[in-house]
Amino acid sequence: MTSESAPSADDPSGAGLPGPVAPDRPAALSCRAERDQWNRRLRLQRQLHDGASLRISALVPQLGVVRTRQPDLDASIEGLQDQLHTVLQELREIARAIYPPVLDEAGLGPALRDHVEHTDVVVRVDVGPERFGPAVEGAAYFAVIGCLAALPSGSPPVEVRARREGGALVLALSGVPPRLAPAVLDHVCGLGGEVTTTGGPEVGTIEVEIPCA
Amino acid sequence: MRVALAEDGALFREGLLMLLQAAGHEVVGSVADGDALVGLLAGEDADVAILDIRMPPEPDGGLVTAERLRERHPDMGLLFLSHYAESHYLMRILEIGTEAVGYRLKEKVGSVEVLSDTLDRIVGGEIVIEPVLAKRLVERPRGDRKEVVDTLSPRELDVLRLMAEGRSNNGIAAQLFVTPKAVEKHIANIFSKLGLQEDGSEHHRRVLAVLTYLRSQHDRR
Repeated sequence: MTSESAPSADDPSGAGLPGPVAPDRPAALSCRAERDQWNRRLRLQRQLHDGASLRISALVPQLGVVRTRQPDLDASIEGLQDQLHTVLQELREIARAIYPPVLDEAGLGPALRDHVEHTDVVVRVDVGPERFGPAVEGAAYFAVIGCLAALPSGSPPVEVRARREGGALVLALSGVPPRLAPAVLDHVCGLGGEVTTTGGPEVGTIEVEIPCA
Repeated sequence: MRVALAEDGALFREGLLMLLQAAGHEVVGSVADGDALVGLLAGEDADVAILDIRMPPEPDGGLVTAERLRERHPDMGLLFLSHYAESHYLMRILEIGTEAVGYRLKEKVGSVEVLSDTLDRIVGGEIVIEPVLAKRLVERPRGDRKEVVDTLSPRELDVLRLMAEGRSNNGIAAQLFVTPKAVEKHIANIFSKLGLQEDGSEHHRRVLAVLTYLRSQHDRR
């Protein structure tokens, strides 16, 4: 499994030139191990929601009832409620970093559209409603957001397209520097994904193909 | 007011039930899933139903249940509570209705004042959206669209205002004494001036346009 932090722009494979990008890790994780990792991440995220987060949320209305019974403590209890909200926001951030709940429930399109509400660079998301399973969707999502995070602020608009073609998810990032391709490949090679680039050096297209089974 | 509650987390449901009672509302029933709520409301009247989005029937029972409720009890307000404030869910909620609906984080309705204010506004016909989410949507992708609203022609502004009242294209056409085709053209101009991308559905863009407008009105007050 690769990290979801901003990928480095190192280019050991010389991918500055258009064409296929070769993995720089000769022994990629086996597909099955990679799938297991994604399923584990998904379970952890659900566990966080169904356990700790729900318990903490439940404290808030209970404290609200106490506020009505103890008017002199109203301000202090409101402060505690605000702190619980902060804790929940932090847990939401963690859940999103593990496996975004919207990705789980609604798929790649809605998850990417929600993500790009927060990005500096303008991103157009053209992704249909098809579902591809937790592993492929997870790898594709983190590959895209890693690539977007690596763009310098002030970059021109980017377009993300994804479609099912045959037995594969084909994803194209247009308007990005092809030198980011190796980091994209890191996210998808464990599932047998392949990456090709066209154009460049500053504005090109990175195309990703991930087999879906 | 009369409130019905459906939430599958027992702890949160009990807490919210007590808070509703402390706020002086009459809770006509408190159940753990959407089907039970529909059953309950077949026999009881309520001013507003409070629904957890993620409850049985899985995966998002709150939404499918709300669709059924809106059909059977069109005047009943709907308050969705969720652990997540995401525009994806807001769009689905606004597809169910653009009047007398609310979408808030579970832990943000934690006092009798906020809870009652939220319910009052919904029963009064308003759309109540978790403030942080409404702000994010209207400001997307960046900057401030208030000035953009000012670039709309008077006729486009009329159309947008009627959209915000929840009227259909035909309803807007009748109101303005123009053809539905002319309304479509105005709406296309509004979308383009507000910079709403074509990748969203027509409905998605319509809602964003309305939110932009509502926000610009709000800031003017």
